[in-house]
Amino acid sequence: MLLTIDAKKEMTYDAIVIGSGVSGGWAAKELTEKGLRVLMLERGRPLEHITGYEDALKGPWQMPETSRLGDLAPKYPQAPQDSTLAKSAQSYWMPGADTSYRQDKPFRWLRPGIVGGKSIMWGRQSYRFSDIDFEANAREGVGVDWPIRYKDIAPWYSYVEKIAGISGEKLGLPQLPDSEFLPPMDMFLVEKEVRKRIEKNFPGRIMTIGRTANLSEAKKIQLDNGRSSCQYRNQCIRGCPYGGYFSTQSCTLPPAVKTGRLTLRPNSVVTEIMHDAQKQRATGVRVVDSETLEHREYFAKVIFVCASAMASTALLMNSVSDRYPNGMGNDSGQLGHNLMDHHFRIGASGVWEGGEDRYFYGRRANGIYIPRYRNIGTDKRDYLRGFGYQGGGGRQGWQRSVAELSFGASLKEELTHPGLWTMGLIGFGEQLPEYRNRMYLDKTQLDKWGMPTVAFDAEIGENERKMRKDMLNDAQEMLESAGISNVKGYDQGSVVGGAVHEMGTARMGRDPKTSVLNAHNQIHTVKNVFVPDGACMTSSGCVNPSLTYMALSARAADFAVRELKARRL
Amino acid sequence: MSATQPRTNPFIPRREALQRLALLVGGTLSLPVQAALRGEVIHATANRFSAEQQTLIADLADVIIPTTDTPGAKAAGVGDFIEYVIGHCSAASQQEAFQQGLKQTDILSRSTFGKSFSALTQPQQTEIVTQLTQQQKPFFLTLRELTIVGYFTSETGATKALDYVSIPGRFQGDIPMKAGQKTWAV
Repeated sequence: MLLTIDAKKEMTYDAIVIGSGVSGGWAAKELTEKGLRVLMLERGRPLEHITGYEDALKGPWQMPETSRLGDLAPKYPQAPQDSTLAKSAQSYWMPGADTSYRQDKPFRWLRPGIVGGKSIMWGRQSYRFSDIDFEANAREGVGVDWPIRYKDIAPWYSYVEKIAGISGEKLGLPQLPDSEFLPPMDMFLVEKEVRKRIEKNFPGRIMTIGRTANLSEAKKIQLDNGRSSCQYRNQCIRGCPYGGYFSTQSCTLPPAVKTGRLTLRPNSVVTEIMHDAQKQRATGVRVVDSETLEHREYFAKVIFVCASAMASTALLMNSVSDRYPNGMGNDSGQLGHNLMDHHFRIGASGVWEGGEDRYFYGRRANGIYIPRYRNIGTDKRDYLRGFGYQGGGGRQGWQRSVAELSFGASLKEELTHPGLWTMGLIGFGEQLPEYRNRMYLDKTQLDKWGMPTVAFDAEIGENERKMRKDMLNDAQEMLESAGISNVKGYDQGSVVGGAVHEMGTARMGRDPKTSVLNAHNQIHTVKNVFVPDGACMTSSGCVNPSLTYMALSARAADFAVRELKARRL
Repeated sequence: MSATQPRTNPFIPRREALQRLALLVGGTLSLPVQAALRGEVIHATANRFSAEQQTLIADLADVIIPTTDTPGAKAAGVGDFIEYVIGHCSAASQQEAFQQGLKQTDILSRSTFGKSFSALTQPQQTEIVTQLTQQQKPFFLTLRELTIVGYFTSETGATKALDYVSIPGRFQGDIPMKAGQKTWAV
């Protein structure tokens, strides 16, 4: 493309941030606040904070029938089959997102189609990684060593937590470091009972309230940002008009906009990062407008690739040149490999025949958490790493199954009043990084924007299968010993991508020969390209990863600005 | 609503949203889906219910969840919900099974009481539904399940039969249960 100097200047920014989700939002906020002129590119449609959340305040009767079906949806094949899609907020996801990729092995790739990305629909569970996680690969000779340790990221966890607002309970555990907490949310009666009994019957195991990015008490920093406390509506997935939970729109976008240095361009599919082999730097990006199909190029000194783990990796793989015929920064051959997710859909649940005269008020957008206890301290298993449990209690409502042939006034009367208290645990296990688990591009099949089809070839392995035995047995054992009745274990199988924690395909490492990114999320050999989203993960831990992406993004942005000022970029 | 009368699809994004959708999926949307997304009325071509069938569905639902001290399924519009789910969300085999269930109900009503189900007295309708639980069990279970979901997610069911609070504002996990406490709607 030939441009006059003036035209090129108009297309040139200090930094380009690709993606507007959890990681891109933080990058844009930090970079603009530190004085950079930033162009944020998002392939999805615009979604305005508050006014864009059209379903937020609707009652169930105002939702489409397919949402009202809830757990019944799988019985009706023309309704959305993915539970996340079926529940609500269908318009926030990319249409056809469940079919627009290839599965050599079963894989789930849920892609958002909005500004804010998955930060609008995310589960909000927020946990720190610990040195037990950061040291595991080196200690066990798995994959490559993380190039950072807990001390490198801890201040950045604190930094993002104070702004985002994380509610939780201090425990002082080495395997699950405490965050800068807002007050913990209350537990259901049944959870309080089960907690006492688990902690008594299984020394070393702890059940705490979930750590969630919901404002249990909005502080000045959040109030000043136009947010207010969680209203306990538990409709977060539809977008929160109160700004009660962390999203790009509620938390990171407003301060970035306020600087006057952010340009946000939705409907912008980035197809390629351009490279100057002589300078060993990226020069800019090629973009296709998703609506007009118009091609554009933008230029910048620094590029933050925050498109989500799989999409960021696909973009790097599609950015080929003479210098990088196999994808930008891919001298190691590791790009696209070591794909991980958390394996789950396994656990147990039952009912508690007590506390009939107690009830609850409000809809808590949070559950409980049992931090990892396997392979911690003196505990040794026949597999590596471990798992945590999420889940929680409640009291049966109208959805409960009652005598299946009953009907009439008695059925109505029964379902109108609360049933028994319930309690359930769902294991989330660590998946080891394995080279054979990969994504790759099928360049014979291009979509209308010219992007190749992404193909997935990944599955859980022997280590995960062994771990799942404990995940199933321990859940049943803990609930039974805690006085829960009718405990039923389940293993619904785990498809990679199912937890929507996919990660690891452009991993950080110490050695350019075996990793894509360095300790600052910088491509080893293309210093002005940073990848701080899930693609960077060297191991998966067993905790929900988004908080780590926030911390790494803010940290990488800080580093990038310092490097720019030192004229090293 | 007559058999051929069109109904409005509940998914009605704005026109510009449709254009975006069509672009994103590369023009692979089927014509009826495109029409639906444009907010145009569409015909339930896969499964049409006659006026008699619609009345029958609503009346059957009302036997499963009748009016008591709160309105029942018919008043809550549950028939429309069931028609939508069967007509738009179900496989052809499910639709066929449901149609057969409706037919059998009619045959059973006429052979037992000499009238259509909707013309029967309440005790007679209850008797027919009791027979359905034995003779048409899969049909009955589908009908019952959709009636329960349709009712308790309806405005009437959620706000009158159950307790609905749009904005609780706080959460307490352990409070005394009031006498006659209703289940939370959501």
